[in-house]
Amino acid sequence: MADDIHGWSEELARDPSSLVFLQLGEALRRQGQLEVALKIALRGLERHPRHAEAHDLVARIAVDRRDFARAVEEWETVLRISPSHLGAMKGLGYISFQQGRFNDAERFLNEASAGGAGTDVDAALETVRRSSGSIPVPRVGDDPAPDPQRLFADILLDAGQTALLLDANGYVMGGLYLDGDGNDLGQEIGAQLSGISDEVVRATRHLDIGEWRSILFETHAAVVAMAPAADGSLLVVAASKATPLGLLRRLLDRCAQRAAEWLGAGGSR
Amino acid sequence: MSSPFTALLESLSRQRGVRASLIVSENDGLVVDANLRFGQDGDRVAALAASMYRKARMSASAARLGAVGFLQLDAERGRICAVGGRGDLVIVVVAEPAANVGLIRVELLKALDSLT
Amino acid sequence: MNIATVEPWVEAPLRRYVDDARARLALLLHTSGQVVAQAGFTRAIDVMTACALASAVHATSAELGRQVDGRPFRGLHHAGPQRQLYLAPAETARGAYICLTVFDDESSLGLVRMYFDELCKELMVAAPPLAPLREPALAVDFERDLNANLAAMFGRN
Repeated sequence: MADDIHGWSEELARDPSSLVFLQLGEALRRQGQLEVALKIALRGLERHPRHAEAHDLVARIAVDRRDFARAVEEWETVLRISPSHLGAMKGLGYISFQQGRFNDAERFLNEASAGGAGTDVDAALETVRRSSGSIPVPRVGDDPAPDPQRLFADILLDAGQTALLLDANGYVMGGLYLDGDGNDLGQEIGAQLSGISDEVVRATRHLDIGEWRSILFETHAAVVAMAPAADGSLLVVAASKATPLGLLRRLLDRCAQRAAEWLGAGGSR
Repeated sequence: MSSPFTALLESLSRQRGVRASLIVSENDGLVVDANLRFGQDGDRVAALAASMYRKARMSASAARLGAVGFLQLDAERGRICAVGGRGDLVIVVVAEPAANVGLIRVELLKALDSLT
Repeated sequence: MNIATVEPWVEAPLRRYVDDARARLALLLHTSGQVVAQAGFTRAIDVMTACALASAVHATSAELGRQVDGRPFRGLHHAGPQRQLYLAPAETARGAYICLTVFDDESSLGLVRMYFDELCKELMVAAPPLAPLREPALAVDFERDLNANLAAMFGRN
């Protein structure tokens, strides 16, 4: 990747009107170098103001910078230039979802689906419908089967999301953490992450900011949120890096509610 | 006295609801530079925030989740946001519970880019 | 962590300190080098050596401070590849003590300094009133006191 970036940079330096800025900007975006990526993309856009992919690139960088207003503006421009642009439809669907405008999200994703966007968009549509309440989330007690590993299964929206309920010693009480091969790494991941809560408790105590409610962090591979639960237990929710932080918070709240109900019922469903 | 970080910290502290902004050394937990409101104990914030960030980084690494970038702690009476992961420096913001954390995150990521 | 003290009022503050700061070893001593309390050491000989060295280093850095800054330096920090030490004086109603803290990457200098400040405050509060002044200690008394303190901490009479 570093070699590619170097090569594209050199090509762009040789020929500033080259379209290679699209690959370079995207590679930098994926590496998290958002400010540099934005500069490259805007410079390219100056030379190619009617190029849909250039606007699409700026929009994607804007989303990573959580500048949703800019992203909407750019994707709307993309659709004016290229009305069947699937990336722009998906992007606008994504932002609508992130902002809680589920009807708009469903409309954009439906259009993308009709345009042949594939199974990912169908899965996203189901997520939107579930979030908007079209598909109800069952409560504890609705399912008579007592399987702690599946405690959060119906709340999680896709295969990249996972939730664990850990006891005060870092042992898993409920939930699963599956790797790409389907192995449950819950015990290992839980043990590693549970130590963070000790640091958090110490920080809040000494900084006099009251009880902690949640901690959230973005890693190279995932976004992770944790919250304290009853009896010193700890809830951990993780999702792919592409998951909006607002959605992660929403998942954490839902899982926390489920954990509270489950613990309140004595740890059985 | 101004330092290379003065403008960066002033920009962070101008955000609504921000009580303090600091640049800290992750490994030592010491203040490198800070913009604090009256009454804020910068040494304390630096030691605790750096320790929390480092623990998150080490735990995430052990759990094979990769490097930690942005971190946000929400408590009843305050929020702590931090970014790092590029060298030993971590940028920390202490904010009111009602502060716009999305905006703070964007500003922190911008600040991190300008550090490196 | 194993903690042993010659003066019982020191134990609770020191235990809190090593727990909170996640210190690996801690040693509280008189400026003369006599041990007051230790946490984490397993052998008397190590305590004795550490006390002698810490006392000498503190005296040296205090004097260097006087020479270059007009007053004694307070805290002293050294970092090794695995472990670090922090050496600083703690004033109490019973006089000045020195505290040697050894820590690793479970902690940090910032945390150790923060909790050390709290230890100083707690020692100040916990210290019982000073007993009437004794006769000046002769070298022989010092040796006797030192050995008595070590014997008390490691259970040898």
